[in-house]
Amino acid sequence: MKIKTIALATCLVMLFCLAALAVTACDFSDLRQFYSTETFTKFDGEIERNVTIRVLENDTAISVGYFDELLDAFNEAYAEYGITAVDANMDSYTDLALDGPFGYGPDVLYQANDVLMEFAADKHVLPLPAEEMECYQYIPEAAWDAYEANIEGGIYTCGVPVNIQAPMLYYRKDLLPEDWETTYDDNANGIPDMVESWNALYRYSQKIRSETPDKYGYMKSLSDSYFALGYLFSYGGYVFGDNNTNARDIGIAAGQAEIGARIIQQLASVMNMETVDDSITLNSYSRLGDGTYFATMTTPDVYTMFIREMEADYTRRGYSASEAAAMAEENLVMTDVPTLPVNGDLEDDDAEQMGMTVMGGVNGYAISSYTKAPKACLAFVEFATSYEMVMLRNEYLGIAPARSDVAAELGGLSERLFEKLDAGEIVVMPSISAVGQLWDPLATMFGDIAEDAFRDEPKYPTLEALKRELQDTADGIYSAIFTLQ
Amino acid sequence: MRSYMKKPVGMLKFKKAADVGLTYALLILVGIIFVFPCLWLVLASFSKTGSLYSFDGFFPPDYSLDSFKTLFTDTAMYNYPQWFLNTLLVASMSCIIGTLLVILTAYTISRFEFKARKPLMKITLVLGMFPSFMGMTAVYILMTQFNMINNHWGLILIYSAGAPMGYLVQKGFFDTIPNSIYEAARIDGATNARVFCKITLPLSKPIIVYTALTSFAWPWSDFILPKLLLKERDMYTTAVGLMSLPETEFARFAAGAIFIAVPIVVLYFCLIKYMINGMTAGAVKQ
Repeated sequence: MKIKTIALATCLVMLFCLAALAVTACDFSDLRQFYSTETFTKFDGEIERNVTIRVLENDTAISVGYFDELLDAFNEAYAEYGITAVDANMDSYTDLALDGPFGYGPDVLYQANDVLMEFAADKHVLPLPAEEMECYQYIPEAAWDAYEANIEGGIYTCGVPVNIQAPMLYYRKDLLPEDWETTYDDNANGIPDMVESWNALYRYSQKIRSETPDKYGYMKSLSDSYFALGYLFSYGGYVFGDNNTNARDIGIAAGQAEIGARIIQQLASVMNMETVDDSITLNSYSRLGDGTYFATMTTPDVYTMFIREMEADYTRRGYSASEAAAMAEENLVMTDVPTLPVNGDLEDDDAEQMGMTVMGGVNGYAISSYTKAPKACLAFVEFATSYEMVMLRNEYLGIAPARSDVAAELGGLSERLFEKLDAGEIVVMPSISAVGQLWDPLATMFGDIAEDAFRDEPKYPTLEALKRELQDTADGIYSAIFTLQ
Repeated sequence: MRSYMKKPVGMLKFKKAADVGLTYALLILVGIIFVFPCLWLVLASFSKTGSLYSFDGFFPPDYSLDSFKTLFTDTAMYNYPQWFLNTLLVASMSCIIGTLLVILTAYTISRFEFKARKPLMKITLVLGMFPSFMGMTAVYILMTQFNMINNHWGLILIYSAGAPMGYLVQKGFFDTIPNSIYEAARIDGATNARVFCKITLPLSKPIIVYTALTSFAWPWSDFILPKLLLKERDMYTTAVGLMSLPETEFARFAAGAIFIAVPIVVLYFCLIKYMINGMTAGAVKQ
């Protein structure tokens, strides 16, 4: 008994010593750095020399070769300082919060605003002296706002906007009626009416459905909140108050948002039951590719997915690979989203039209709080957001730039997206943490509203009923955000 | 006197045939249920467009070998050959070191009587009940302090060090080797090391093969630990690399998953005889 007790005690002491050793061996001092006005002094003084900074870039930018060009140009420009920027060679969804404190994260990150601002909320990225940067004057306030964080009472800019992401309408040019220029171009502007206004697209979808029941006009998952919110925004709805920063003010039922909800019901009627779930999102590439769908709405970054599917379809139909590629490029059109009727009735062919407000995002650069060379990182961000590099980025990736001078030079869709962001027609996705509580309730609500088109007895037959549903969902989201607080 | 009614022979034959038929039908059904996902993955790996979204119903509309080609040729972003080599290094080294440690642990526990033997067995049994991912955060922090993040030897260390925890099957095998053989060797003057190397090991081929295979298979397919410890793309193992592929590269994912399964399947088929001997030897009651 005595020996056993001694053995047990010895074991416990050894275990304790081991644990103490492990804990003391760990240096946690760098785990968290705090923001203060002194944080900005990190960017004062002489730039670091002979350092290597790791940059995490977008996968597409790497695969198409833009990133190599950027690194080569930067390294050449800063060779005299011995600064070398390299590919961080990490997964684009790397967790800075986990790896940064231990020195394994990237020094500079390129991400969407909502991802970067999550890091900013926990102080994993540095506040930047944005106003002192060359690009500051060229980037609209709405884009800078997406990178503003209120931390411990101070307002900090934690990222530099590079490009604008917003929903676009994709359609098949070869599926337009042959005589569209005479029958579907009322304003004679050379653009088919059905891709200019939702009313015309709705009518054209009805026509396709009645003539060929296995084909569709416009098809899109209406329960996808990212895209469906645009209909509410266009009629006065919003996500959070105070420019998407006040989670206590949930505005999805504000203004005449119920009119937007009715548009969702009307659009659902020219689709099928797949619109209430994500089936359409999953198969829209192949369905648009094989001509089952005439048009859909999604983000610009999946353009190549449609091209690939169209090429496959043309190849199946006996065209050579080069012919298929050329035909796909020729027939797939990505354009701005159509206009909405002011009165919110897609059935009213003479309704006055207005621009559609959509939800979007701003991708940009941020600097890790754990970098050993903040000034070199800032130099890199300055370099990567310069006119020449953003222009080059557009050439390689076809992005819509956040810089006004580049957008003006490019014109077309890039300029249009820039103008929409500047005019508030693109609502940047909220960057506050409460946004996580939005998606599921909204998807359920949008799915339920869209399903009304297929019910024998509609659940939301009036605008009042739709308004009530929007308000109930807003209340539910509010409870989800604040009940546990 | 009791009389027993004999059942007609035809009836018995019918019952037996029905029994066999039902058993086969059930086995075939279960077989289909298990084989179908694998079959689907194999077909998906031959999908021409490469996207999961282009499937017409459950199967790809067009087939080609492109996915397998790009898996090994398009390495700029997704360096599958490098991931494969990394996995091979980690699995092989973990297999060699882990097998050695497991065999030594099991042999010691089986053959030697010492005071801590029973408590050790109890402790390992209890510790084995906890899921290994419970200590992941601690493992991560410790590895950062040893500078073993982004280092394949960090993985090998953890796999090898953790392997002896599963020594029970091997101990069961060593328990079945008659003590008289060891006693004879001892009488002839053999040392412990000589007994182990010259007598135990040659008799233990099945369990060594079984141990080596299981020690190889675990790191070969593990995801959680490599995902935690390997940060750079070129350091990834296959499981982590495949999981990092975007949704648009599903055919490449499927091709990679099929290819990674080939070596382990071949190994299993070649060594199945030893494996079964190894697993069952310790289970026989005499």
